[in-house]
Amino acid sequence: MNYEANAPKDTDRSETLARGVHPKGLLNPYLQLAVNGLLVTASELLLKRGATATTQVSGSPWLDSLGITTLGSGWVWAGIASGIAGLVSWLYVLRWVPLSIAFPLASVVHVLIPLGSWFFLGETMSLLRWCGITLVMTGIWCLANPLMRAEEAL
Amino acid sequence: MTIHLLLLVLLSQIFLVAGQLLLKHGMSYTQHATAPFGRVVCEVLAGVCMLTLWFFSWMALLQQLDLSQVYPFEGMSPVLLVIAATVILGERQSRRSRVGVGLIALGTVLVGIS
Repeated sequence: MNYEANAPKDTDRSETLARGVHPKGLLNPYLQLAVNGLLVTASELLLKRGATATTQVSGSPWLDSLGITTLGSGWVWAGIASGIAGLVSWLYVLRWVPLSIAFPLASVVHVLIPLGSWFFLGETMSLLRWCGITLVMTGIWCLANPLMRAEEAL
Repeated sequence: MTIHLLLLVLLSQIFLVAGQLLLKHGMSYTQHATAPFGRVVCEVLAGVCMLTLWFFSWMALLQQLDLSQVYPFEGMSPVLLVIAATVILGERQSRRSRVGVGLIALGTVLVGIS
């Protein structure tokens, strides 16, 4: 990571953070925030597909209500793996980005999940849902636009 | 909605906010050249435990209410989290960011009830 080469060895990294210095390229925390949104969305869609594929196969209402039978589906395991990868990318994001910026930006999943369910799972989209998606995207733009300008200025 | 459900909603939001604050606080140490490894692990694990509790309280709510009834509270969480990060972690935001958080919360509620 070349930011370390530029900074004096014992400089407090939070100071470099305040100047907007963070890893570039693939390790850019804002790129990782987008990756996190995609992983969380993929996880939810995979879990839903797996849960639908295994609805009540055991015949025992007890096992069905625990959801354990869904573990027989490869989709569910892919969903779990995607969820764990999402947590790792989230921890990396929190290392660099203030929580009050990162958490609201992570709400992009409330846009991606309905769109994904519509596109991949064939769920319906109402006008109200499109309105909600537009509002969330406007909010994200309010938060992200100043950040992108700061990135460009560096 | 009964008092019992309202308390469960409140508890679930507290778990979520506390969990995220712990994760952020723990991971913030790793910005320093000498990160106290033990503390990072402890705080991140405590955060994950809180988020696990949040997950189960969320599932308990879903058992008793429709998704469209529970979702407005999901919209509340970015607002609560920004307030908590400001008060407890001392983070600061511009007015524009606060407007953005409000729009996101409102949009989330709309997506939820639709």
